[in-house]
Amino acid sequence: MTKHIPLIARDLKRLYTGFLIAAVVLFVICSILTEFNLMTLIANGDAFWTFLTEDFLPPALPRASRIPNILSSVLVTLALAISATTVAAVLAFFVALFGSEKVSPFPRFAKVVRGLATFLRNIPALVWAFILFSSLGIGTGVGFVALCITSFAFMVRAFVETMEDVSQDCVESLQAVGATFPQRVAQAILPSCLSGFLSWYLYCVEVNIRASTIVGMVGGGGVGMTLFSYIKSFRYDVALTIILLIAAMVIVVDQITSKLRKELQK
Amino acid sequence: MSMEQTQALPLEKRQKLLRTAHGGTGKRTRIPVKCRQRNRFIPRFLTGVVVLTAASLLYLEIDWGKLISRVPDIGGVFWQLGHLDFSNMDLIASSLLETVSIAVLSLLYSLLLGIVFGMLAARNVFRLPWLSVLTQSFFTFLRAVPTPVWVLLMLVCLGMGAEAGVAGLCVHTTAFFTKSFAQSFESIPDETVEALEATGASRLSIFFNAILPAALSQIVAWAGMRLETNFSECAILGMVGAGGIGYVISNSLQGYDYGTAGVAILLVFLVAYLIERMFVRIKKRFY
Repeated sequence: MTKHIPLIARDLKRLYTGFLIAAVVLFVICSILTEFNLMTLIANGDAFWTFLTEDFLPPALPRASRIPNILSSVLVTLALAISATTVAAVLAFFVALFGSEKVSPFPRFAKVVRGLATFLRNIPALVWAFILFSSLGIGTGVGFVALCITSFAFMVRAFVETMEDVSQDCVESLQAVGATFPQRVAQAILPSCLSGFLSWYLYCVEVNIRASTIVGMVGGGGVGMTLFSYIKSFRYDVALTIILLIAAMVIVVDQITSKLRKELQK
Repeated sequence: MSMEQTQALPLEKRQKLLRTAHGGTGKRTRIPVKCRQRNRFIPRFLTGVVVLTAASLLYLEIDWGKLISRVPDIGGVFWQLGHLDFSNMDLIASSLLETVSIAVLSLLYSLLLGIVFGMLAARNVFRLPWLSVLTQSFFTFLRAVPTPVWVLLMLVCLGMGAEAGVAGLCVHTTAFFTKSFAQSFESIPDETVEALEATGASRLSIFFNAILPAALSQIVAWAGMRLETNFSECAILGMVGAGGIGYVISNSLQGYDYGTAGVAILLVFLVAYLIERMFVRIKKRFY
């Protein structure tokens, strides 16, 4: 019998085998639970193609009188994302200072702060939007607050991690010479972490552009609402135009943020 | 200050100047604390952000007074949400299971699709630049549109049910995987690929025997990361019209049935938290 030399390390092989088994088992369980069948999708292929070729394509322009409205709704979405992210970032910066055991003047409460952030973060923005709609009513302001909550919680976590990665010795040495808490923040944390914070901020802007479109769909205003109303009134060709507009908006913002991020990391 | 100017000064001042210039002992000088090599771009960026934010806030015309006057109501809603009502537990549990299953199924299907399209999009697999540019730009478009939009469109052509959810989620997840897998494939050292090319192996066998195995651990990591996103996306879908836990939440909130909504929201949080913890632990073990 010839002996094989194993081509990959044993623990890696175990990982992949485990992953594969888990995937197959999950696949079977989930398929049974949801009664999802790929065949029905393929069988429905005809309906899919007719929808695509007749209702959806080609993109049609909305009535000329509506065009300024649509463009201003795109601006609302952009404005919502940018302002909500900035407000959330400023709040998150101050809260994150208390969320890191190494930096915070009250290390005991760091866990509480992080726990709160975890709670806020793990509930999707749209659920927050719905909770707030039922207390504050529908409107742009509520979309703003809902976006603020999730991006605030996300940035608290990201900022805490950035601070713990970067500025250990700097903070400690400043503490050793007797620097006060504000001095430590201004002289150690801000200079070393600011570019990290800002690149997280840019990431959040990207995420929030998408999220504000979605929040708009359920009543937060902006381009999401416009799109939703066209889909509901079966004008799919106009909806496609708006989808293209949303895609263009997202891609342009992504390009700008990636340029800015490169500048910041110089 | 030039030499002549210094000469023109009275004697005392001249001495003082000399002392300070030579690390003088008389006057206390400060060691500069500020780092001079700071990124000059950051202050400009910050001003830009502040201006943009102010402009956006003005443009939005949010009625802050009205908003703030209603803030106490939030407390009331949370108070009511806190009165958990377990009477609809079977409905909540079944829709939560459906949501999790849709998230997992769409993840698995997109994993397969992502490997296929990632193969097309990576530059080092077929070495056809036009093919990778075409694939990349198509999926960039798909990725730029938020998931609920795709699900809404799928609902239109497939009707209500899990199919629409899975298909809609797959669009975005596949687009995400295509980009990230293509990146992983391209990070394989060129020497490996060239060595196999020299033996005359076909493009597909190079992919399946060299590139894919080397990228496998990254693929597993990407899949774990995406599960988190997929679950929260899936929880949202119900709110725009598809089934699942999101529908239960939005429906019971709109029907003032806060107890049921509270239980559902709490469960969404718990599942999302569990997935996050699980992923953190797996990451710690393998990196």
